[in-house]
Amino acid sequence: MKRNVFRELRHYLDVTAQVIRMAVLTVFEYPSNIAGWLISNPLQFIMGFAIIKFVVESFGEINGWNYGQLAVLYGISVISHALSMIFFVQGWFMGYYVMDGDFDRYLTRPLGVLYQFFFTNINIFGITDLIPGILVFVYGCMKCGLQITWYFVIQVIVMLIGATLIRGGIYILLGSTSFHTRSAVDFGQYTQEIMDKTTMYPISMYPESMQFILTYLIPIGWVSFYPVSGLLGIENGVCNGFFVSFITLAAGILVMLLAGAYFTAGLKKYESAGN
Amino acid sequence: MIDVNHLSKDYLLKKKEPGLKGALKGLIRPQYEVIHAVRDLSFHIDEGEIVGFIGPNGAGKSTTIKMMSGILTPTEGSVLINGENITEHRKTVVRNIGVVFGQRSQLNWDLRLGETFELLKHIYEIDPVDYENTLEVMDGILGIKELIDKPVRQMSLGQRVKGDLTASMLHSPRVLFLDEPTIGLDVSSKFALRRFIREINEIRKTTVILTTHDLGDIKELCERLIIINHGVMMEDGKLNQIVDRIAPYKTLVVEYYDEQAPEHEKCEMTSHEGNIAKYRFMKKDITAAELIADLSKQKEIKDVSIEEAGIDDIIKIAYGS
Repeated sequence: MKRNVFRELRHYLDVTAQVIRMAVLTVFEYPSNIAGWLISNPLQFIMGFAIIKFVVESFGEINGWNYGQLAVLYGISVISHALSMIFFVQGWFMGYYVMDGDFDRYLTRPLGVLYQFFFTNINIFGITDLIPGILVFVYGCMKCGLQITWYFVIQVIVMLIGATLIRGGIYILLGSTSFHTRSAVDFGQYTQEIMDKTTMYPISMYPESMQFILTYLIPIGWVSFYPVSGLLGIENGVCNGFFVSFITLAAGILVMLLAGAYFTAGLKKYESAGN
Repeated sequence: MIDVNHLSKDYLLKKKEPGLKGALKGLIRPQYEVIHAVRDLSFHIDEGEIVGFIGPNGAGKSTTIKMMSGILTPTEGSVLINGENITEHRKTVVRNIGVVFGQRSQLNWDLRLGETFELLKHIYEIDPVDYENTLEVMDGILGIKELIDKPVRQMSLGQRVKGDLTASMLHSPRVLFLDEPTIGLDVSSKFALRRFIREINEIRKTTVILTTHDLGDIKELCERLIIINHGVMMEDGKLNQIVDRIAPYKTLVVEYYDEQAPEHEKCEMTSHEGNIAKYRFMKKDITAAELIADLSKQKEIKDVSIEEAGIDDIIKIAYGS
């Protein structure tokens, strides 16, 4: 029985719709959580941005980036963070799933394991991070007096998809180490810290060696710094122009493919857990 | 239906040495030890069989069943279900299997039971008519419909197991794997579970493979037993044949009117306390009726009963060897 690609895709979309429906139902099951997330998550990022505002107002600009441009950068960083939180946050906790044998269930169902791992645990609350991200982004665009053209919209969408894939891929790569080490480490805190510090500010302010690492080894520079500088026409010394966002997308796909392969290799070593 | 060919699974276990020095040594130059959890298992299971896997803890039962259901990748050998290799074609082969693993539930903890069923309906692309039919059958066996609107977190263990059993049957699998399904269940839930296994086997011709430590499960369900110990197959065959071979004897318990008990040359008196004597005899040497007749000629008998060599004896003998 050969199943064609379109049927397969429709099947996955159908399951995704059901999974999202269940996630929304779960949110309503615990209404008191909603209020907490709605307040604390946006506040965290609004406060973060307030600090940038303070710094810029004191020093004029950061490494050639003015206030409005920094807001755009910050916005893209937070939006891609929020998207990765919605779809890929489980990667942070993959080690616990490995140790507890929770992959058993995914392996006995006729869908991709990685798909099930992320989508059956889809994190609707991530939306609460999306709101401050979009607010700061729109605010930055207005400050810079940007013209909203099709070019602009395409670049933003493409870079967000790429950035989310880069983040997600990194979570998967880190999480998949658990298959080999057979221990559960919560990478969330570290990744969040590093990602925040390298995507919310221009990486041109770091030493050159670090810039090199963030550009070519761990492609975090492509999450926000390069595509946003391309979007705003700020010289970054590596690459500029309309196509930077597409490089971000390509980097995202590359990291994801790598992560997928590493995960699949890990899954072969999966040992489940005793009863 | 199911072919298991030379199946083996090795684990690498890091050797731990005692003390701080040992811990440091393990950190710098880890030494690994190969554990052979399952060694060269081969067997065939036909459609519609109920097969019990038994063996002591750590014998390799769960490892075997997890390789058979596609969860673990075998180190060597293969598992074919309906002629297809489960390791290579996981996504297609698992459409034909259902899995219930002990106390690990696949139900969504936060929502009503029906939501998990709904999700599975989409995952397995179940036809709505088939779905309703299966639910009807499951309602008949387990009374699942009264639970369908109950949030899973509010359910008792017995109710959750019923939910899990139904969930595993929604896509009408040809094979059902159960890993210690009766663990922790009370008597009536156990009874319901056994009835469930018997009925799906009868009504739907579902092949059932289960591991258990419960002698009742084995006695009531399994026609065929596979006994595993230290990852190696010890016995594979019909329950009564294994019993006949490992323990080909019965015990006759005789109560007399006084403490004098006669002996008999074709059997062995295994105990004699008060008015009660126990005779162990080989089935091939003498029948129970003959033995009773012979004994009653020598002495008046008040009461008799016959003890079959139990499965517990079999397990004790098989595990011990």
